Amino acid sequence: MTLKDILKHGFLESIYIFNDNIEIKNGYVGDLLSEIMRNSPSSSIWITHQTHPNIIAVASIVEANTIIIPIDFDFEIETIEKAKENNINLLKSKYDIFKTVGLIYNCLFGE
Amino acid sequence: MKSDNKLLEKLLDVFSNTKIGEIMTSPPIVVTPEITIKQVKDIMKIKKISGLPVVKKGLKLVGIISIEDIINVLERGNLNDNVFKWMSKNVISLNENNTLSEFIDYSQKYKYGRFPIINEENKVVGIITKYDVITWLFEKLGTIYIHDERRKKVLNQEYTSKLTGEILDNDKISFNFEINYNDIQKIGIGATKLKAFLKSKNINDSLIRKISIATYEAEANVVIHSDSYGQIYCWDFEDSIRLLIKDYGKGIENVELAMQEGFSTASEDVRSQGFGAGMGLPNMKRFSDKMTIISEVGKGVTIEMMFYKGD
Repeated sequence: MTLKDILKHGFLESIYIFNDNIEIKNGYVGDLLSEIMRNSPSSSIWITHQTHPNIIAVASIVEANTIIIPIDFDFEIETIEKAKENNINLLKSKYDIFKTVGLIYNCLFGE
Repeated sequence: MKSDNKLLEKLLDVFSNTKIGEIMTSPPIVVTPEITIKQVKDIMKIKKISGLPVVKKGLKLVGIISIEDIINVLERGNLNDNVFKWMSKNVISLNENNTLSEFIDYSQKYKYGRFPIINEENKVVGIITKYDVITWLFEKLGTIYIHDERRKKVLNQEYTSKLTGEILDNDKISFNFEINYNDIQKIGIGATKLKAFLKSKNINDSLIRKISIATYEAEANVVIHSDSYGQIYCWDFEDSIRLLIKDYGKGIENVELAMQEGFSTASEDVRSQGFGAGMGLPNMKRFSDKMTIISEVGKGVTIEMMFYKGD
């Protein structure tokens, strides 16, 4: 599935889109960076509460091409700058993390 | 200055463990941030010195003022300005318990003419320049001539692998990166650069991923824990990738404990950013094929990792 297909559902606001034709195969949720690196699959969406610039380095190392934060969170300006340098898509959900994950899971694996 | 370095290097292994406290000029002439540049200039002239540590109450180091700064004042400032305005605030200091070999590492790294020396209580107790070292050495030795070629290898600061015993040659380093430890947000720059480098070498993706993660963790540790700059070295061998991540900082008190999953000494602030989960060293161990860690309190951390290229 491409990111564009997920965006069609309308619950995600685009903060920075590098490429919405990118393939999304999987997803991962977490806030502990070491744990993300250990377990996150590649070509995936990473859903997190972390918004500081360092998440871009983590995402590019594990090849999570898209980062989503829940409602009431905002990416730091420097994070957005770094996302541009490293070709990472940044999105913000209209819902909290639980509902966001559920919706994305349905997009990827639901009937 | 180049010949100074050569001589220092030759003598290095004879005295490399000598403490700087033995060599430094002590007590040092220091100034406070409030006094004027003119006063500093006069002190330099009278004492025939080219730089002074700037201290506040309790001999705490806040900067260093050197003849270069005075020249800047002459060009663009006023001799009645205070020292604080013109001193270098980003001052690199050494501890009196650092060794001569660490001083040499620093002076090669930072290219400064002088380093203030502090003691365990963070008080400025001395200053060291290459001139101090040479004077000290000649006092000790009279004249020395080292012609042993085998020794030269050691002096070139090659690293002997603790994993395989072979020499990892400085000249054959494929990638190196200096870790900036002043900014937690800079964690991962080295790992991402290394990743790009490995991609350019057509190494398979899952191996690159393992190496990048392990490097990221090591880099994060240097920034979060060491209080020292660090270095990432990578050798691209035919059958394996070798990594050496070194810092010169606080060191690890209990390596065994540090290796345990979940053990962390990271601050709350660092943890709130998702670091300090106590998975750094375990992740390095998990993603590398072989790993060793060498550390001692006050002597930095050296991590060596090996990744086989075969599937």
